[in-house]
Amino acid sequence: MPFIEEILKHRSLSIVGLEKNTGKTVCLNYVLGRLHEMGVRTAVTSIGVDGEQTDSVYATAKPEITVYEGMRFITSEKHYLQRQLISQIVSVDEQCTSLGHLVTADVLSPGKVLLSGAATTEKLKRQIAECSADGVPLTIIDGALSRLSLASPTVTDSMILATGAAVSPNLQQLISKTKFFYKFINLEEIDNQLLKTLEPLTSGLWAIDDEGVAHDLGVASAFLLGSKDVNLFAYGNRLFATGAVSDRLLKQLSAQSGEKCITLIVRDFTKLFITQEAYATFVRKGGKILVLRKSKLIAICLNPTSPQGFLLDSERACGALSEALGIPVYDVMKVPKQTIL
Amino acid sequence: MITVKEKIKENTGFQYIVENLQLMSSAGRRKLLAMPLLTSTEVITTQYDCIEKFVTFMSSAEKKTLLVDLQHQLMRLHDIQGTLHNLSSHVVLDEIELFELKSFAFICMAMRKDLALLNMEQQLPMPDTQTVFQLLDPDKSGVVNFYIYDSYSEKLREVRQQLKGCDSNSETYATLFAQQNELQQQVIEKISQQLWNQATTLSDAFEQMTYIDLIQAMAVQALEWNLCRPTLSDTVIEYRNLFNPRLKQHKEQLGLRYQAIDIHLNEELCIVTGANMAGKTVMLKSLSIAQLMAQFGMFVPAERAILPIVEDVVLCIGDEQNEMNGLSSFASEITQINSLLQRSQNERLLILIDEPARTTNPLEGKAIVQALGTLLKDHFCVITTHYSQLGLPRRKLRVKGFVGNDTATPLTPENINQFMDYALVEDNNEVVPHEALRIASLLGCDKEFIQLAETFSGLKK
Repeated sequence: MPFIEEILKHRSLSIVGLEKNTGKTVCLNYVLGRLHEMGVRTAVTSIGVDGEQTDSVYATAKPEITVYEGMRFITSEKHYLQRQLISQIVSVDEQCTSLGHLVTADVLSPGKVLLSGAATTEKLKRQIAECSADGVPLTIIDGALSRLSLASPTVTDSMILATGAAVSPNLQQLISKTKFFYKFINLEEIDNQLLKTLEPLTSGLWAIDDEGVAHDLGVASAFLLGSKDVNLFAYGNRLFATGAVSDRLLKQLSAQSGEKCITLIVRDFTKLFITQEAYATFVRKGGKILVLRKSKLIAICLNPTSPQGFLLDSERACGALSEALGIPVYDVMKVPKQTIL
Repeated sequence: MITVKEKIKENTGFQYIVENLQLMSSAGRRKLLAMPLLTSTEVITTQYDCIEKFVTFMSSAEKKTLLVDLQHQLMRLHDIQGTLHNLSSHVVLDEIELFELKSFAFICMAMRKDLALLNMEQQLPMPDTQTVFQLLDPDKSGVVNFYIYDSYSEKLREVRQQLKGCDSNSETYATLFAQQNELQQQVIEKISQQLWNQATTLSDAFEQMTYIDLIQAMAVQALEWNLCRPTLSDTVIEYRNLFNPRLKQHKEQLGLRYQAIDIHLNEELCIVTGANMAGKTVMLKSLSIAQLMAQFGMFVPAERAILPIVEDVVLCIGDEQNEMNGLSSFASEITQINSLLQRSQNERLLILIDEPARTTNPLEGKAIVQALGTLLKDHFCVITTHYSQLGLPRRKLRVKGFVGNDTATPLTPENINQFMDYALVEDNNEVVPHEALRIASLLGCDKEFIQLAETFSGLKK
């Protein structure tokens, strides 16, 4: 598969699932296997708790992560002691998580491990930097249930999106939901000049005038925008929301804008918590969303089975999704299993 | 026992000092908070000696490198109290704990080497942890990485060899892996047992490391803030250019002048008078901070300092009004004073009271100060007051106070300090300075209000 080559161009990769059971772990195992074959030294960890043997929501069997000789992994004390491989501890973090301290170890003899990791993106960033400093060129972060923050371009350089029958057993709906998400990942970036102005702003809602100057609107958070006292469009129709953006904000913008076409700028796609309907209304009125930084999507992987037992026709599903999105979609289950560990 | 933790709660100035200590480890921070107020001349002197040495190291390039290395080692120090506790209670450790001990032993060895090169092995002896490290490094790798090495057990090596060629999804693999785990556990048990008798050595080393963290932090602060090593005396408190670090830094940041003060006190009551805003409270706070620092074994904020060892420093600022306890400011102050009077009967204290009984009527207020002064006349005690003619057998100091030209620049709360002389002078006048209305007027208070007050005061017709 071609996307492995693409991964190697980046220092860090996140694997994000659109839903639970979309085959994130299968996808991760595939990537790790290929990287091992290619002899690329890789570190792997997760955000929060993941890699549990059985899925705690659906109680289905969940494949463990297989790591190979020379790879580095970071997991909690509890999961480290349960690992089924031989490895040596390189460091133990002093900070304690709910599952004990985080242990960084190098694999001596391949096998399986349950991954759990840092709970904050700040910590993840530090770990990526540390691995890099230790001469590990690539760090992969396995996502957790409904955690998107790890895919922010401020945390990881690139991402793989896992989707599948778990999102919806109806192919049309699956395509529509994936496409909606894909649209966000591909939101256009603002120009460099404006980026320099907006990047240092860390809180509040800002208006950008025609000269590209940002004005603080005195709203602490887009969530607190309740009254109509603030004239959001005093400086023009471009706004920058430093934090999360919800349906409510979009609706309020649409309500206040009148005939104007609004451009809303957000930090990156992980800050968007909006529904398909609200977005559609916003766009219909001429609205547009831009990002400070775009995420590099390496590939989309599809898991044709759902936890309820639905099975999509893999070839048809991949083909249809690929056609709708205009990029290749892979079924990692179809890839021949690695014969040796 | 009086500890740092307790003192930072009641003294914000001292809290600032403690918060600005650049400790390298969380274990060091814990040690600092639990540190008791030192009352043994010997212990204090030894600590001063160590700090002094560390300060001198910082001015020599070669020794500074060693000191920086020492600090780096401390940064890597984890709080392994739990593991040490398990070890001394003869618990079988796990792999992660063994790793913690190995890296601890490693840091310890490195620090021991640095301390020897710094000629500090006498003053700060560091236990030898080489045995522990060697036990956990059978392959002599010399690094802190750890696992249950093959060399611990021939059987373990064999099973691991067999595992290598095995499909991880097979039944055989599972059986072999279980066997591997069992053998590994046997090794762990054996190592744990060998480590049990090292528990004391390791605990001592841990204590010493956290102590060194305190010493280095105190030395860095002493150098950065220009602190001095106090001389211990039994009879006097004497400071040349005593300053309050937080206030000094604050003034300097604003580009304002900060005036350090000289003060000499004997073991007798000292009454301090002076105009409002003349720095009486600051002086008391500075005295309390310096005494606490000295007795937690730190250098003090002055150019020169001579001070005694006391059993506690009691600072009553009288602003502890606590509505939650249902106490008014007077009630809260008087109960505090009552408790210190009781303590003063059998403890040697440094007592610093700011304008006692100022919130009640002047007749009784003055009487309270007189009674307080009488009972505390033979203690290291400083009381500031605005009451006149106390008729107490005591030493009396006065803050020079306002020296500015009243016509030139209009006075503001921001610039008033430029017109103040905070120096203390001996004063035998029974009447306290009457400068309150003058300062109020210079601060731009309403003229009619001031004139009226002057008429009422009878000081001016």
